[in-house]
Parts: sequence; structure tokens; C-alpha cells
Amino acid sequence: MIFKFRSISKVLILRSGENLYVRCGNAVVRRFSFVLNGKPVEVEVPPAYTLLETLRNVLHLTGTKDGCSDGDCGACTVLLDGRAVHSCLTLMAQVEGRSVTTVEGLLRDSSPDEVQSAYAESGAVQCGYCTPGLIMATKALLMSNPRPSVEEIKEALRGNLCRCTGYAKILEAVLRVRR
Amino acid sequence: MAQAQRWVGKPIPRRDALEKAIGQAKYASDLFPEGLLWGKVLRSKYPHAKIRRIDVSSAKSHPGVVAVFTHEDVPNNRYGLFNKDRPVLCDDKVRYIGDPIAVVAAETPEAAEEALGMIEVEYEPLPAVLDPLEAMKPESPKVHERGNIARQTRISFGDVEQAFREADVIVENTYTVGTQIHAYLETEAGISYFDENGRLTIVAGGQSPYRDRHEICSTLNIPEDSVRVVIPHVGGAFGGKDDISVQIHLALITLKTRRPARLVWTREESTIAGTKRHAGIIRMKTAARRDGVLLANKTEIIYDTGAYEGLGPAVLDVAIENCNGPYKIPNIDISATLVYTNNYVASAFRGFGAPQVLFAIESQLDAIAERLNMDPIELRLRNALRRGDVGVFNNKLIGSVGIAKALEIAANHELWRERGRYKSETARPWIKRGVGVASAIKGYTLGALPDKGQVGVELTREGKFRVRVSSTEIGQGVLAALAQVAADMLRCGVDDIQLVFADTLETPDTSVTSASRQLFLAGNALADAARKMLDKMRHVAAGLSGEPPEVFDFLDGYAISRDGKTRISYAEIARYMENNNIPPHVVGEYEVPRVEPIPGTLEIPHLFYMFAAALALVEVNTLTGFAQVRKLVVIPDAGKVINPQTFQGQIEGAAVQGIGYALMEEAKIENGILKTQNFATYLIPSIKDAPEIEVIPVEDGEETGPFGAKGIGEIGIIPIAPAVANAIKDAVGVRPTSIPITPEKLYWLIRSKHGEKGSH
Repeated sequence: MIFKFRSISKVLILRSGENLYVRCGNAVVRRFSFVLNGKPVEVEVPPAYTLLETLRNVLHLTGTKDGCSDGDCGACTVLLDGRAVHSCLTLMAQVEGRSVTTVEGLLRDSSPDEVQSAYAESGAVQCGYCTPGLIMATKALLMSNPRPSVEEIKEALRGNLCRCTGYAKILEAVLRVRR
Repeated sequence: MAQAQRWVGKPIPRRDALEKAIGQAKYASDLFPEGLLWGKVLRSKYPHAKIRRIDVSSAKSHPGVVAVFTHEDVPNNRYGLFNKDRPVLCDDKVRYIGDPIAVVAAETPEAAEEALGMIEVEYEPLPAVLDPLEAMKPESPKVHERGNIARQTRISFGDVEQAFREADVIVENTYTVGTQIHAYLETEAGISYFDENGRLTIVAGGQSPYRDRHEICSTLNIPEDSVRVVIPHVGGAFGGKDDISVQIHLALITLKTRRPARLVWTREESTIAGTKRHAGIIRMKTAARRDGVLLANKTEIIYDTGAYEGLGPAVLDVAIENCNGPYKIPNIDISATLVYTNNYVASAFRGFGAPQVLFAIESQLDAIAERLNMDPIELRLRNALRRGDVGVFNNKLIGSVGIAKALEIAANHELWRERGRYKSETARPWIKRGVGVASAIKGYTLGALPDKGQVGVELTREGKFRVRVSSTEIGQGVLAALAQVAADMLRCGVDDIQLVFADTLETPDTSVTSASRQLFLAGNALADAARKMLDKMRHVAAGLSGEPPEVFDFLDGYAISRDGKTRISYAEIARYMENNNIPPHVVGEYEVPRVEPIPGTLEIPHLFYMFAAALALVEVNTLTGFAQVRKLVVIPDAGKVINPQTFQGQIEGAAVQGIGYALMEEAKIENGILKTQNFATYLIPSIKDAPEIEVIPVEDGEETGPFGAKGIGEIGIIPIAPAVANAIKDAVGVRPTSIPITPEKLYWLIRSKHGEKGSH
């Protein structure tokens, strides 16, 4: 493994095993393989791309939202090997060979996950732009802690900003699916 | 016709909720048309500078760049809703950091970003106008040729000076209120393309498709029927998408390149270039008699509208209208000034000028109650407006006025009655608790401005209804509420109502989605349309059955004769209409009643007002100055609640925005530079900052509203900051006069009080 480069524009073509860097127009792209919502996928994107940029701008899988691109708002939360991460802070190199679940991946035979239904039925969805991120954060919480206390719920969701609801109905939604 | 309510009043989940929860709802930022160009905007580096030269030649020749546009590409380079003072792309000057100078369109986002850095702009920096008080002086540098006073007016009724001489108590304070940023989770975003009929189509987050279209067409000098504006689900707006953001730039790219385009602001771009709530200075002198009757209020309002007016002139009107609170005050004198500075752009934000002045008057009321040793709610009730009263502008209040009832509920609430016990329940001696109250008032509708809207209703072949409105779904739930209203008016199931919304090609003009009145306006226009539709259907039923039309009534999707023997389904009626070429659609219209504006104003008074009372339990750490809201009780005058779930959500969400406004959200602008450009520095409430919120609606009914409903979208934020400030006064004995009440400000305020004590 001998990839040393200062800037993308200086790299022409480098080869190492399966991974191929190619110049694509005036950008350099690299191939990444990972499992997305249960299915293996391969993408060719600039190596500095984040998972969020890949999901939205390349795959056009837009359920995952871009609220700040800075890791501050949580709208882009997805599961990486079952743990909640900010996809805007996750580089594609960190995703290589791993498993990603987005809000679309929670559907089973096109029926919604119980967390998705709980958010919709509790009135926890207004403009809805924060909703997919909150649902993924809730999912991750419940997978690791099926019976969280109110304090534990607030702690788990404190990184997911919502500007519409005032959070009361979000809390209600999570309490509804708590075991 | 007595309208049974089968759907109105039910807490049914919003139909768009699940679609959003599974990630299928498409927002403007989710759209990627085939073959799109990526748009990026070059923004000013200086708060105030002359533009000497713009050179885009090297940016244009950068690989991947298709076009670069400047002011030379814009035929009519000024727009604005009241005053056309804002350039689409700056020409002579830049007036705030973020003012747009050029638009790049490129094959990749990377190429567009790189090209921005290759545009050469030669500036001649000018002294920046930063302080609104300095800006008002004649010797100040000018932001615009016409001077820095964008609007100034004085309104007085009665004789305040005489009343001050007769008063038993006079309270005088200067309040300062900070800039608030909307901080919706979806930034300003859109796409543009030519549709199959060669129509220029803009799909972008906004609040008013027809008004956006007008701004696009007037600046680019193209006919309105050649442009279509669509507003899909919007990821939050709160007034911040009332003004133009990406729309004209997108239209320009597609018009000139004939290619689809996508333009999405970054978070930093949104906080910088998006509009904001007006910062301001409010001086208030209020007088009362010993028995608590208010005698006079003299107010000076100075609002900083920043580089451009936006909706500032109307915001100033709303400040004037509401600065006396929901009270009868016989003598008032208001001087109000809207000032240009180089501090970004202020325009509409939920509450629209009212939260600032209500913070002032509600703090004044509390101070008077304290001086008179009177219960603060009792003082408010003594002066509260009631239906039929004559308001401070000699305006008769013909609409419902629920403030007294809201205050009575507050007075009887456990949090108020047992506030002594609540206050004593603190864990540490340095943690102090207090309970505060505040009232709120704001007009809904556009006041004295003409305001008319249309709604289309169409009977489909299946016997269901398609309702067409240009109302925008910005998160508030108007579509769900309209579906419920439509189902009851058209006597069918709520699932039989399909809504087509916010599309200048597909929906009639239902006027702008602002001023808390879309349900009121569209609901009333819908009532007119439903009447026309049912009348049409009644005649068809008569034709089908041979019975006279007047025997038919409607229930659950059937026309039913009075004796119950004839039942004709809506689907049968639809088929008959189709076979006999009877057009299956109608258009309903509603013009909002209004009065003439009082001299010196644009749009006040309103005929219709919303009201609310709020109680806040606040905890203050006297060692750090950190204040936290523990409990809120919000009591809005709702007229009639159409959907309790949506209603509570609106009030809870507004209340938490109010907590942010009161305590946390500090948009720091230093030397014209916004220092808080993201969510790490501009802190909006998280789930940890949101307290328990109890919402208690007053439902006295507003006869002019659909099923008795009135506007509620903005009222929830207005009483929060003063209730929190009054609770802080109750907790620690010092009165905050500047919001946001940050720990730093409160720490020094508490220290200054102890300092005074120590000096004895």
C-alpha cells in the first residue's frame, strides 16, 4: 500500500489490488465497495467524498438529509455496522467493506419499521427534514438499549436537531416503541 | 347548512408524516434532474464596498465550467416586496457580507467551487454602517443613496404627557433584542429546467409560488406564463423562505444555458445570506393608576433591517400594532424607525416584529405589578382587551378576543397557584427558581393590505375530490388541516381528499403562506368552492333521480334525498357529469375583510387577532448565570382546533423556538461579520433544552374562520421570551432587559445587584 499524495489533482493513476484510482474529467475517483441496505454496491467517487455526498449526490438516495455537512445537526445519521454515525463526517474510506443502513433500508417488504410508524403516528414529523436522522438515531439506541429511560433517550438524541416540533412528540414517539 | 364535523377536531396523523418518515418525500434539495449543472454563488467579502471591477474570464475557461453570470446578465437588477432595493447580483456596491456577486454553473460541484475562487472582484471598501443608532445620524455613511432611514413613522392617540402627569406609577426601560436566525434544517434549495412544453420550471423551497414567480419574471424580464414555480415539501421556513433565495439565480442559469440546474445553499451560506429576525432597541415608558389601570404607553422602536428592506416595512407595522400588548391603553405615542445597516438582511420570522415589542411591554407590565404590589395576572386581566372593545388605534375589535380567558386559565393553573412551592423545590442553595407570566397578541391576515385567495375543487371519476391550493407545506401541517376541513365540507372521508399544492401551473393563487392565516384564508375559499361543488352535484342528483334538487343532502360520499329513499354515490354523479360534459370543477374565492390603514401605517390595524398567555418555570444557577426553562404552560386562543396533534406540535415547536430566542440564540455580528455561521456556534435548542410543555387551547370560536378556527402559527413564540424573563426576575430579583439572556449577561446582571447591596 503506497498511496502518498498531497492533493487530488497531482494523482494520475495508481493501482493497488482491487482498488483503482482513475482520473475522471478533472477529478480523480476511486472505487469503493460496501453493503448498502443489505445489498452490495460499488461506487466510483473522489476519495475525499463523504458517505453523505455519495448517498445523495451520486446514488441519489435522498432519504438521508444534509442539514449542515458539519456533524452538528444529525440530519444525516445512518447506521454503519449497526452504530449511528454522521454520514457527513464519514469518509468513503471508512465505509469500504462495511455495512450501511439508511432510512430507506428500514422498510421490510415496503412496510415501515415500527420506529418510522411511531414517529408518523405521534405527530413527531412536521417539516420532516430532521426525521430520517432522528429515526436512525432512535433505531441505534433501541438496538443497544431496548428499554431506555427518558434521560437516556434525551442523551441519545441530543445530537439530532429539530427546529419544528419542540421535541415533545419526538420523545412520545420513542416512548411508544420502547419495550 | 349545519356542517357536521366528522374530521375537524380529530387528532389524525398527518398524511405526509409517514412518507417523510420512510425517506420517500421529496424536498427541493433531493432533486437531481438529468444532465444538471451545479450552481454556486460568489458572495461579498466586505460588509460595505464599491465594486470597481468584476473579471470572470479565467473562471469561465476553467474545465467543467459552463457559464458565469454577473449583474450584466440581469435585465432588471432590483427586486423587493415593498421597495425594489435589492440586486439579483451586485453591480455598484456590496452591502453585507454574503451579498451575491456572481453565479457559476458547472458540470460538477467541485468545478463550480473551484471557479468561485477564480473570479476576480476589485473592491473599494467603504466604512461599514453597523450600529442602527449611528446609522440614523445624518453624517453616517449611506448604505443606500436614499439614506439609512428606510422607514420612519409616528402614531399617537390621546395625550401621553398629560397621562404621565396624572399617573401613580411610571416605569421606563430600554430593551435590546438580538438577531435570530431561522435555522431550518433544510437550507435554501432548488432546481430548474425547461419542461416538455418549453416552460421554464423552478422547483424550490419557498412560501409563495406566485410571488416567487413574479420576482423571477420581473427581474429577468420574461412573461409570467412562460414560467412555472413549484414548491414541494419544504424543510422548514418560519418566514425565512418568504423572500427570494435561489429562485432567480436558478432561473438565470437555465434560461441562459438551456440546461437543468441545481443550487443548494450550504449551512454557512444559509446563516449568512438568509434573512433574519430584526434586532432592535425599544424604549418604553408606561404609566398606570394605583388600581392598576394602564394610562399611557410611550414607545420608541428602532429595528435594524440590515442591507435591504425585505419585508421590514411590514414588520415595523406589526411592531407598532402590538407594542401596547393586548391591553386597553387610552394614551399611546409610538415612534418607529426601520434602519439600513450593513448587518445582513432582516425580514420575516415567525411573529414578524411582535416578539421584540411583546418582550418589552410584558416586562413593563411585570415591573408595574411589582411597583403596585399587585398580582401580575390580575394587573393584566384588569387591562385586557375584550371582544367589542375599542383598541388603542380607535379600532373596534370585531373578531374573537380570547386573552382574558387565557389569563384566567393561567391564574388558575397549578403552576401559578402553587408557585411558592415550585420555587422552593430546588436542589442546591445557588439554584434559584422563579415563575413568570406573559401575554401575547398579533394580528393574523395581512391586515389592511388587500388579500384574496382562490381554491379549486374537482370531482374525480372515482367520486373523490382533488383540492388545489397554492398554500405551501412548510412543516406547519396546513395540507392535513385543509384535508380535514375539505372532508367535512364536501361530506366525504378524509382519504377521499387529494391535495395538489403550491404549483403555479396546477393550482390557483391562494395568496402567500404567511401571517398565520393560510388555514383561515384557504379554508374560507374552500368553503366557497365546496358550496359551489355541492350545488352542482345537487343538480346532477336531481337530473339522475327526477327529484327536485333541494331534497338532496350529502353524507359520506352520497347524495341522499330527504326521505332517505334515493342514494346516489359521488362516483355516479361524477360519471353523469363526464357523460354530459358538465365540467367537474369549481373555484372558490375568499377576500379577507379589512379596514383602511390608519394614517402613517401600511397595513394596520388588523380585524383579526390571535392571543396567548404563557407561564414559565425557570431555574437559574446564580454562580454561572445559566438559566434553564423547566416547564412551560402555553394557552393560545385558537378559535377552534382543527387537528389537536398538529395544533400542539405548532405551539410546542414555537415555544421551544421562543426558548432559543430568550436564552440561547445569539447571532454574533461583529464589524459586519457573522461569527455564528453554523450549529456549533449558533446554538438552537436540542432535546435536552426542551422542557415539559403543556398546551391548553381556548376554543371560543371565530365566526369568520372555517369551523371557527383562527390563525395559530406564530402566536406560540411571542409570549415565551417575556415569560422567561419575568420568571428570571422572580427567581433572582434582577430584570433582564436584553435578549438573548445568555449566561454571561445574566451572571453580570446578578453580580451588579449584589454589588449594589455590598456598597451599603
